[in-house]
Amino acid sequence: MNYDCLIIGGGISGLTCGIKCVSEGLRCGIISSGMSALHFSSGSIDLYGYHTDRKIVYQPLDYIERLIIPNELHPYSKCGIDTIREAVSFFSDTVEKEGLELYHNNDYNHFHVSTMGTVKPTYLSQRSVFNDKIKEGFKARSKIAILNFSGFRDFYPELAAENLRKNSLFSLFDIITGEIELPMFRRTEKNPHEFRSMDIARIFDSEKYLPKIADQIVNIAEGALFVGLPAFIGINNFTRIYHRLSELTGMLIYEIPTLPPSILGMRIDNALKSRFAALGGEFIAGDTVSGGEITNGSLDHIHTENHGSTRLRSKFFVLSSGSFFSRGLVSEFNIIREPVFNLKVHAEQDRREWYSQSFFQQESHPFLEYGVETNNTLNPVDAEGGTVGNLFCTGAILPHYNPIREGCGGGVSISTGYYAAKKIIEGCRA
Amino acid sequence: MNYIETQAIIIGGGATGTGTLRDLTLRGIDSVLIEKNDIASGTTGRNHGLLHSGARYAVKDLESATECIAENMILKKIARHCVEDTGGLFVTLPEDDPSYHGKLLESCKFAGIPAHELSTKEALDLEPNLNPNILSAIRVPDGTIDPFRLASANILDSTERGGKVFTHCDVISLIKEGDAVQGVRCYDRVKGMEFEVRGDIVVNAAGVWGQHICALAGVELKMFPSKGSMVIIDYRINNIVVNRCRVPSDGDIIVPGDTVSIIGTTSKKIEYNEIERLIVDDDEIEVLLADGEKLIPNVSKTRVLRAYCGVRPLVDISGDIKGRDISRGIVLVDHEERDSTGGFITIAGGKLMTYRLMAQMTANLVAKKLKVKKKCTTHKHPLPGSEKKIQPMKQIKKFTGISSSVTGSTLYRHGQRVHNILTKDRKNYGLICECEMVTAGEIEYALKKLNVKDIVDLRRRTRIGMGPCQGELCSYRAAGLFVEFEAAGAADSNIMLKDFLEERWKGIKPILWGDALRETEFTYWIYQGLFGLGDIPPKGEGKQ
Repeated sequence: MNYDCLIIGGGISGLTCGIKCVSEGLRCGIISSGMSALHFSSGSIDLYGYHTDRKIVYQPLDYIERLIIPNELHPYSKCGIDTIREAVSFFSDTVEKEGLELYHNNDYNHFHVSTMGTVKPTYLSQRSVFNDKIKEGFKARSKIAILNFSGFRDFYPELAAENLRKNSLFSLFDIITGEIELPMFRRTEKNPHEFRSMDIARIFDSEKYLPKIADQIVNIAEGALFVGLPAFIGINNFTRIYHRLSELTGMLIYEIPTLPPSILGMRIDNALKSRFAALGGEFIAGDTVSGGEITNGSLDHIHTENHGSTRLRSKFFVLSSGSFFSRGLVSEFNIIREPVFNLKVHAEQDRREWYSQSFFQQESHPFLEYGVETNNTLNPVDAEGGTVGNLFCTGAILPHYNPIREGCGGGVSISTGYYAAKKIIEGCRA
Repeated sequence: MNYIETQAIIIGGGATGTGTLRDLTLRGIDSVLIEKNDIASGTTGRNHGLLHSGARYAVKDLESATECIAENMILKKIARHCVEDTGGLFVTLPEDDPSYHGKLLESCKFAGIPAHELSTKEALDLEPNLNPNILSAIRVPDGTIDPFRLASANILDSTERGGKVFTHCDVISLIKEGDAVQGVRCYDRVKGMEFEVRGDIVVNAAGVWGQHICALAGVELKMFPSKGSMVIIDYRINNIVVNRCRVPSDGDIIVPGDTVSIIGTTSKKIEYNEIERLIVDDDEIEVLLADGEKLIPNVSKTRVLRAYCGVRPLVDISGDIKGRDISRGIVLVDHEERDSTGGFITIAGGKLMTYRLMAQMTANLVAKKLKVKKKCTTHKHPLPGSEKKIQPMKQIKKFTGISSSVTGSTLYRHGQRVHNILTKDRKNYGLICECEMVTAGEIEYALKKLNVKDIVDLRRRTRIGMGPCQGELCSYRAAGLFVEFEAAGAADSNIMLKDFLEERWKGIKPILWGDALRETEFTYWIYQGLFGLGDIPPKGEGKQ
């Protein structure tokens, strides 16, 4: 098998890279070992959210340009501001082609409401989280109803309402909570394992019960302008369902991400995979890359668990295998490694330096900033100390940034994936 | 100021305190228990949960050994649902002194502990994960005991008989009239208010913290704190308690408990002022894992879930001697005799295994002072939940339709009280904690009946958040249920959730590598990345 570009890791970064490559006519494959971090994401794309003192960043692109790009180690600095802008608009266009529109607030961040009722700055969101109507609705005094489905155990409206009421952004609003009864779902509720966001989202997808659900919402939300629901208004058919439900209720339906699995994230995952396939990309699911051979600063081939001794060759490779959770990085008693190629990793030697004393410490945890060291063009350094020219590292496997503290995980993944794709396209054409 | 009058006041909600409360209420003595934190949150809940047969003490401490085997037999009857009769093995490794094997057999015989020699093949058949290179094995009637369940069952029985319990309440001073102690002044940390309890006798059952209580009474009693650390392995890799057949030392026991196995224990002398901020050290973890692997080689391939430590409540009655050598014997002090301070008793030393005996000795003294004639009956009356022998099949049949793992787990944790917990209402048996099979109904029961003030307390009653995910998904659900079952307001529940995750973090930090680090990254993504929980201001602070 011969590829122009073979990508290890099918998360948001690998997919962005792959779609860009196939859209330019490259022969591209993605090897994915399982579900990606999108499945526990908010489904919004954060570019940059927080100053170091946790104050909110309002204009992320401006902030990145002025304060992040000068830090040469930060992955954003390696991409450059123009690539970041390009990457974000490429990403938006890509998912839109699959019928999932993403909205932004011009150059400004907007907010999305979390499960706990905290508000988080973000840059791109789905229609149910940010659009012009939602923005307009915030200008006048009105009522918000946060509703749950009876029996659904992964969302508690009261906890969210309590924090929203304390937030000055919501001081104009009367916030109520309630529960919708869905007798037709009882069969799902029967088994305690089977009443999670996925199960409800599938039922929404069928459209069959929408009028009944809308009636309940109107009754319980009593004249609210906004109705906050846990995010499961359909997966495949979301855009249509969202419109129908808005029409039937005459209210602004707002989706709040729940405990995993994240339906908002899965919609993006589906859109990206579908786009990649539509353009002729080859998505190899359920396989794990076990190693490869690097000679003279070049990755010659890789092999995988399922393909045994078969050598998978490609002109270029991308390592977007994520951080610890996705096993892009592994840790042992006193060492952090990159398991596929044993690339040079940026991490502290002493395990006691990996973490902060309190879990919610404002500085967050150092281990989140560990990853594979690269040069300025995202090429890693191998065990012998040489740069691997045809291998690019993208997304969460990169070091020197903290996706959560900075609020930039999605942005870095997309930008670095897109940047690598551009370099690969250039290389293939040279 | 709120004011309560009673006969006996017990300070300390560990095994000894709760046991004493039960003994006194069974004798009809009006009693109140004050605990500064939660039931079984001190030394009681911070050991490996071994139901000693006494064999570990047989060679060096005959008195402890005989006490253990006697209490072992009693607890197997009165606390069936807190105990698992797993049996125990003492195995000799090639590097160990082979003569200890014979000494142990001999000493067990002398102490009345049924100990039988097994062939190594028999031992490996019983416990296939055992190191195949063992030289010899002895079988003893060790078992496991859940200290949280035990203390909670003692409390439940007492409160059903009229005893009163105040958790999360600090004793700020003792009320004295002349030379006699006549009550305690307390501060309720949850309600944020002071109150007084007056009574004829104050029992200091505060364990290692008893030194401070004595100081409040104006008497001196010096404790000799010794730290013991353990690590929890994320699978039940053994079904029988495995002891190393040698002079007791670090890392020589692996105890199965519920869904996990625990490797114990180290012994380090610490200063009294360190008892509030105990940390498991790296060298302790290394020793425990290295020695644990010698007993059960699979240890090295299994995820480490947590590390934790407790303080042994040893009383310094003699000179300066090493932690493990000091007598673990029971110390009952009548301060009227010792210090001319009337109405004040200290019960200290001992161990979890002998809690009931310690309670009996204390209650005898209290009864004598109060001139109550009734004798101790705690060795006869089963604890609530253990009234009848458990007949799983019959029990489970009644709950047909509910998954048997749910019924089984509830029955395992609460014994006969399963009937007060499970109903065939779907909402009742919906799962909240998938790792430990904790249902909404079990949480409702705990919130209403078992003195639960926060999610950390709830964990001790139900095992919520104790499994592989360490509360990743269920802790948010639990916070929601506090509101739903009206056990707390939303603002308090939000703070509780944060506190719970911080509490879990304490035990994860020392073993943060491998899957523990992966799980932590995931939990952090959810609670900080997705929920922004760290941005919620602490109680009392204003708008965001």
